[in-house]
Amino acid sequence: MAEEKKEEFIGVEFLSKIPYSWSMGPYSGSLFTEMKENKKIWGIRCPKCKKLLFPPEAMCGYCFTEVKDNWEEIGDEGTVVQFTKAGMPIFDIRKGTFAFSERPLANIQFDKGPYIMHWLEEKDLEKLHLGMRVKAVWREQGRGRGYEDIMYFRAIEEKK
Amino acid sequence: MANRVAIVGVGRSTQAARRPEVNDAEMINEAVRAALADAQIDINKVQAVLTNSIDGFDNFYLGDCLLVDGSGAYMKSGMKFHTGGTVGSTGSIAAFNMVASGMFDIVLTIGHQKQERGNSMGTLCAAAPGELREFVQGAIGAFAQAAVQYMKNTNAKLEHAAMVRLKADKNACRNPYAHLRLGLKSIEDVAKSPTLIWPLRLLDFCPQSCGAAALIVASEKVAKKISKKPVWVADHETVHELQSEVVFGGDEEKSQQVAARRLYKRNGITNPAKDIDCFEVYEPSSWEEMYLYEHFFITEHNTGWKLVEKGVTELDGAIPVNPSGGVLATNAIGATAMLRIGEAALQIRGDAGEHQVTKDVKTTLSSGLGGTNWTTLVLLKRSL
Repeated sequence: MAEEKKEEFIGVEFLSKIPYSWSMGPYSGSLFTEMKENKKIWGIRCPKCKKLLFPPEAMCGYCFTEVKDNWEEIGDEGTVVQFTKAGMPIFDIRKGTFAFSERPLANIQFDKGPYIMHWLEEKDLEKLHLGMRVKAVWREQGRGRGYEDIMYFRAIEEKK
Repeated sequence: MANRVAIVGVGRSTQAARRPEVNDAEMINEAVRAALADAQIDINKVQAVLTNSIDGFDNFYLGDCLLVDGSGAYMKSGMKFHTGGTVGSTGSIAAFNMVASGMFDIVLTIGHQKQERGNSMGTLCAAAPGELREFVQGAIGAFAQAAVQYMKNTNAKLEHAAMVRLKADKNACRNPYAHLRLGLKSIEDVAKSPTLIWPLRLLDFCPQSCGAAALIVASEKVAKKISKKPVWVADHETVHELQSEVVFGGDEEKSQQVAARRLYKRNGITNPAKDIDCFEVYEPSSWEEMYLYEHFFITEHNTGWKLVEKGVTELDGAIPVNPSGGVLATNAIGATAMLRIGEAALQIRGDAGEHQVTKDVKTTLSSGLGGTNWTTLVLLKRSL
């Protein structure tokens, strides 16, 4: 019996790095400085529609008002509104490779309203639930990494 | 719209995980030739060509320039769109507007993506705003989080997601242009697939596909002359959202509800479950399909899973959703939202073949969905 001929494709590999930098602007820049120096999270209150904007920016995306320096501290406690944990390797943008992520990822709503996406300390999915109260655990050394100045959010006592 | 517009040709290429036997131009050419044949015109009749895809997802850029050989755009007018997951519908809506304006009589629009190449998850993470990018786990992370929330807010269980997936596969098996045709027999077959990112199993999320779609869009004058079964574009709508951490799911009103409400109001649709005969929606996960039933007001808030349980949205059900097999079966991203429109047009014509729905289809709704959750809707009708 004649052997079936297997189709062959010639592949030529190109490997290139595409480095770039991202400007945060003066408002989110100030947020990151405050996180780095004082472990504090700030937003900006829109003077017109009164929404608390986070991350802070020069304009309100909802009503298009220029916000000026209407700063307001947000605090670092909140409630988990969504979470998940990857069982597959996820692309790590810092390293440019796929890796298993150690911690569950969550959407956390700060008590003043805005949301932040961040890691949870508790790795056991069975011990997590929507509505659980959490607080930021700050990096003691080597801050100046934006949101990663917070290591993760830790479960705290539920509100009565 | 200023002038009436019709879809007079629908084309699809072979859709598969890998298409190493053709290059990008050859792949889109399959869809273009199919659309021209369907419209019974040749490329010389086409006045403008639009090419649409997500730059970077497949390490391919400048499709408007580099695909002229396959698209047929040589020495013709046209442009390129790049909007994220919605791009296939945005490129279609642009074609509708170009014809509605009176500037063009026949426009060809093409959606394409060849995902055997590149790293779409990496590109998506890199596309997120700087402060967020280390917390973005591709699109799948956002849909997984929304699924967890859906389970909490409703009585939906993993079995309901499996029912949605089973429906998608049953329909895809009837569609020769679907990528995944798995022949799943039961929800246990879905349950067997490994968890990618809790609670999404491999089969609960859309695949990465290579493929293209094309539509021929014509003015009323031309459509009536060349087509026996023109499908009329009754209306369309696009709604943007702000970048938010809670992209999908959530308790706040989303772009889907805003878009649907506006479109329904303009077109006198008071009961979408009755006024619209068939839906082709952009459902990246089986859970998102249940969300969309609610967001498009087919059923009440937090009751989407009940439609699945009752089989209402099956191909032979009262409200068929995604008779083509949908995004869960086929997802060459740049083509995906255009396929929703093309498949809906075929349902209205009665030309969907094996996956033609049982009931008579006079009105359809197609949706597109893209990052930061913005929504496109296209309402098609057999007659205006």
